[in-house]
Amino acid sequence: MTLGLLILIPLLAAALVAALPAARARGTALAGTLVPLAGVIVAAWRFPWATGEAEAYAWSAEWVRGLGVRLSLGADAVSMLLIMLTALLGPICVAGSFTAVRERERTFYGWLLVLQAAMTGVFAARDAVLFYVFFEFTLIPMYVLISRFGSTNRKAAATKFFLYTFTGSVITLAGVAYVAWFHQARISAGVWSFDLATLTRAALSMSASEQRWVFLALLAGFAVKVPLFPLHTWLPLAHTEAPTAGSVVLAGVLLKLGTYGIYMIAIPFCPGAASALAPGLSVLAVLGILVAGLVCWVQTDVKKLVAYSSVAHLGFCVLGLLAFNTIGVTGSILYMINHGLSTGALFLCIGMIYERYHTRSMKELGGLARVMPVWATFMVFFSMASVGLPGLNGFVSEFMCLMGSFQAWSAWKDSSVLAGTPGELGPYVTALAGVGMIVAAMYILMMVGNVVWGPLKEPGGHEDHHPDAAGHGHGAHGALPKDLSAREIGVLLPLAAACVFLGVYPKPVMRALERPVEGLVRSVQEARERGGQPRPLPVPRAGEVDRQSGAGVREGRQ
Amino acid sequence: MSDVTTGILTALGGVGTLAASGGDAAAHAPASGGALPAASPLVLLIPLLPLLGCVLCGLCAAAGVRTKLPAWLTVACLGAAFVAALKMLGDATGGPGTHATIAHAFDWFRIEWGKGPGGVSRELVANFSFYVDTLTCLWMLFVTGLATLIGLYASEYMAGERGPGYCRFFAAFNLFVLSMSCLVMGDNLLLLYLGWEGVGLCSYLLIGYFYQKPSAVAAAKKAFIMNRIGDLGLALGIMLTFVKFGTVEYAELFERIRPFVELARHGRFDEIPFSVQLIPLLFTVGAFGKSAQLPLYVWLPDAMEGPTPVSALIHAATMVTAGVYLVARFIPFYVCSDLALPVVAWVGTLTALTAATIGMAQFDIKRIMAYSTVSQLGYMFAGLGVLTSTGAAFHVFTHAFFKALLFLSCGAVMHGFGGQLDLRKLSGVRKMPGWGIVGVCMLVGCLNLSGFPLLTSGFFSKDMILAQAFTTPGFAAIGWILLLTAGLTAYYTFRVYFRVFEGPSQFEPGDEAHAHADPGDQAHAHAPAGHAHGGHEHGHGQGHGDGHFHPHAPGWAINTVLAVLAVCSTAAIGAYFIDRDHHGWVGRMVDSSTAAWEAPGAGHSGAHAEPPAETGHGAAPGTFLGMDPHAVMYYVSAVVALVGIGAAWWLHLAGRTAAATSRADGLLAAAGPVARGAQGKWFVDEVYDALVVTPLWVLAHVFHLLDKLLIDGLVNLAGWVPRGAGRTASTGQNGLLHSYALGMAGGLAIVLVVALFMVKN
Repeated sequence: MTLGLLILIPLLAAALVAALPAARARGTALAGTLVPLAGVIVAAWRFPWATGEAEAYAWSAEWVRGLGVRLSLGADAVSMLLIMLTALLGPICVAGSFTAVRERERTFYGWLLVLQAAMTGVFAARDAVLFYVFFEFTLIPMYVLISRFGSTNRKAAATKFFLYTFTGSVITLAGVAYVAWFHQARISAGVWSFDLATLTRAALSMSASEQRWVFLALLAGFAVKVPLFPLHTWLPLAHTEAPTAGSVVLAGVLLKLGTYGIYMIAIPFCPGAASALAPGLSVLAVLGILVAGLVCWVQTDVKKLVAYSSVAHLGFCVLGLLAFNTIGVTGSILYMINHGLSTGALFLCIGMIYERYHTRSMKELGGLARVMPVWATFMVFFSMASVGLPGLNGFVSEFMCLMGSFQAWSAWKDSSVLAGTPGELGPYVTALAGVGMIVAAMYILMMVGNVVWGPLKEPGGHEDHHPDAAGHGHGAHGALPKDLSAREIGVLLPLAAACVFLGVYPKPVMRALERPVEGLVRSVQEARERGGQPRPLPVPRAGEVDRQSGAGVREGRQ
Repeated sequence: MSDVTTGILTALGGVGTLAASGGDAAAHAPASGGALPAASPLVLLIPLLPLLGCVLCGLCAAAGVRTKLPAWLTVACLGAAFVAALKMLGDATGGPGTHATIAHAFDWFRIEWGKGPGGVSRELVANFSFYVDTLTCLWMLFVTGLATLIGLYASEYMAGERGPGYCRFFAAFNLFVLSMSCLVMGDNLLLLYLGWEGVGLCSYLLIGYFYQKPSAVAAAKKAFIMNRIGDLGLALGIMLTFVKFGTVEYAELFERIRPFVELARHGRFDEIPFSVQLIPLLFTVGAFGKSAQLPLYVWLPDAMEGPTPVSALIHAATMVTAGVYLVARFIPFYVCSDLALPVVAWVGTLTALTAATIGMAQFDIKRIMAYSTVSQLGYMFAGLGVLTSTGAAFHVFTHAFFKALLFLSCGAVMHGFGGQLDLRKLSGVRKMPGWGIVGVCMLVGCLNLSGFPLLTSGFFSKDMILAQAFTTPGFAAIGWILLLTAGLTAYYTFRVYFRVFEGPSQFEPGDEAHAHADPGDQAHAHAPAGHAHGGHEHGHGQGHGDGHFHPHAPGWAINTVLAVLAVCSTAAIGAYFIDRDHHGWVGRMVDSSTAAWEAPGAGHSGAHAEPPAETGHGAAPGTFLGMDPHAVMYYVSAVVALVGIGAAWWLHLAGRTAAATSRADGLLAAAGPVARGAQGKWFVDEVYDALVVTPLWVLAHVFHLLDKLLIDGLVNLAGWVPRGAGRTASTGQNGLLHSYALGMAGGLAIVLVVALFMVKN
């Protein structure tokens, strides 16, 4: 029930926020995110990282009796890490919005809390229907946050975000439904189940062409969410228009729902198809890295730049996942966390500038290091984390994704090659993706060079104004100091600390991921060895269906 | 101060020991460190002390310190690190054998995925562990030593910046030494890569120190991106190494490369797999980026936008030699490819020549020094390429001292004359009151750089490379080009000296003397104005605005550092004469490390049991016009250096009466397009702009348009259909809800189809 509480507490807090007067909204919301954070810390403390039990905190209850739909929750190391990320970003988003959101606070914080509950739910769900419900339910709070608290073009952005991702995930639902049908029709003699572990086992018995179609259907929703090139166009728009907290959650967690879905559902259901389609998908990932990177380079809106950079970054993440080897997949999962930290922090930094100057255009802003040295320090720091500087978190995951992809090559069969793995990517794909490292340096330094360094440029004819002069023209926001306030520093510091920690000492996380990753790698490897042939159908015996769902150990994941 | 140092040392010693013992306990893992013995935990102090310095400087910034405290903290920490490096050297050379040792701090990367053939566990292990052999010691010795000295120099040089800028400068300075120690001391390729990119970051931060100057920001960006291009090569090289050899740890790597080295020794390159031969070439790309070689050298001259101490430490003495370190460390990999070393040698040689020709025609003394750095780095690579890793390392060693000396002398001039760097606007500085030490030190530096015979260490180190170039079969052309370059070097070096330090005493102060117009703007003074503040310090800064500029001579810190460096660069000659069995002290350091390689034709020293390498497929050693190059090169290079100096004297000193003009002006006109080409730096930047940057920029815009119009257009088109339908279905309502409903309906439809399918079966 631990996980259930982590979902319920934000929901209760949301209800409280709605019920209490607006003046109490902030405090309630902060409490509603801090309590789950404390809970997650305790849960992480007690989590069996080392023993490698496949699932912890399993809990299950009946939901829809006839269809075998259950409310089952559980967490393996991957889910746990992503739940931790979600819980960490929760209070940061709330505290980061104290000055940015000054009207309709109850709506804002209420939906933000609902969003957190939904995201935690996705990572904790162990039933396909429950997963889908949470997955879709993230859309509504996000839609409200963008459409009601965004910038000028917010309606269009929110609509596009909603429709685009919704359309994709409907197809995903169809894929899941097919697998569930396949399970009851071919294996369990008419007994339905949506338990993820049961479905994973069942899906392996589908024919190669079934697997391919199901994989593509599952991928449809996840790839839009990631977003995989060329399904990314909703993202820059949504990010640019979203309020800061919305962008942080969007980049930090919502995009990871896509890669998590691929990791958790798409690949385990159809490992053979995943392996067969990997070359094509890797081309899309590399195109995303390079094209989105170059597009970043010619942006003038800082937020749009960082938004496009997410497309490029997630390209690395997908590439690592497609390597289907230990280093690549571990790197990819680390990437999900690291990208959430560094890009989330970059969005916070940009939001702080927007609150002060009401613009994000590099044509109007420049040289802010002179007036905001503390902010500039954070901005440069997180830019470096984002660009993958060794010693910070981004490097560990980016390098591992590339290394995994480099290893994954069928031509490495030569016995003199000591660390090659079977796979579909190889050095050429990796070298092309690696060019993305140069492009990343180009656009990030372009942004830093324009906004942080250079001659001071402030909007509204304040150019080269004496920095300490009084009455600096943002009288309306007199509450905000010129440089960062203690609250703002407090919001950024935990993220910075996490970036350093994961950059210097990622070993505990790597160790924790060993077993779940091994399961995925093995399932793909077995599929390769079967040569596209489905696994033989188990003899159906009525009544013997895995009913303890949540607690069920997913095959290939132990 | 010494109390503080001892205190810090003791405290850190405790921490270091704890970390080491804790790490050992945690990681009694099979592959960690291989069979190599553990080094003294004191080694860990070398990276820890700069880290401490960095943190302390950061705290100073947070606390709003406006004194020179950050500088003293830096000097104390780096000085202590130097002492630790000395101790490390003592340990490494003191014992009976000269085996590498490893100091383990803590784990970084550790991933396993089962067992490979032969029960070898397949894993990626890369830790914060430090590999100590004599090559490490050699490098760390001059890195920490020079960093301490230059930190002391900077305490005075940057005095006008006291406040947040001063803290920022010294924090980055410490971070640089930390990164450099990871680069040089790392026991695996990933830690090397960490240092490699870390020094790049520090270089970026320090080049862009005067961040309000657009040119400084642009230069910093260029340096970082150019380096990243090289870094990609290195990263791919590391990945290939890992995939091929299954490890990135040196101890294992140098074991596993051995069979291939044996093959190479017998010239059987066709039996060495292509992937193994590719590794050194990929490393080379990284080395050329970091060490500013063709075609990636263009960032280094621009890097002179940084404060001079930075130019001296990072862009002359230490960071840019990282590429040389990489090649020297991985010499066993380089000899496994019949292409890698010739590429290194030729690129180095051509870089040496190109940079020297550009340096001859420039007027900015700091840029001339920058081009001379590029050129001298070319020498080092040429030395590596012709297989005298000793010569290359020795040149790195001597160059570190004399180039730091030259930069710091130029910096003193720049500091004193309001940022003036144009050699046409300064003359006879040596004879001005208070400038004697700078003048003498500059002379020592120039003599070293031009390879003045016998009195200078630069003469001996350059000689070693030149002689080997003629000896190693097949590289005589390189020898001739390097010899020509040596003459050019002597010319452009003394062009600077004779113009700026000799002749009639005249000067014109630089722009920065006038930049101090706004006295109220102290807290956030313009960077250049900072120097003028320094002027106030010494009581010479009065009346900046009214045309009466008084140069202020350097104070004790700058003079002391210059004097020490002058002595060091001369004393480095000694290193050539100690241990003649090993071609000098540096040779001994190199020979007992992984960089050891017997230079072809030099097997007469008798100190080595190994037979000479047969890179030339058994060809006989080359000669210099029929004579033994090692014997005759002393005389030849001495003559060449003297001719160059003489030419500079005739063209730039003899009979010169004004700062701005000299005999060379006439020559310039005669040289016509050649001179213009050299002055325009052979227009390499312009070519890169036209061939790479502009097309890329256009491409990026095309992609952006395609993204907006085509990809997003298609999406919008698809989105229109349901929305249009929704609009027609009911007017006056938000189309969104209808689309949502339609989407839901679509989803349901699919589910229904599936359900039907199910029923049919």
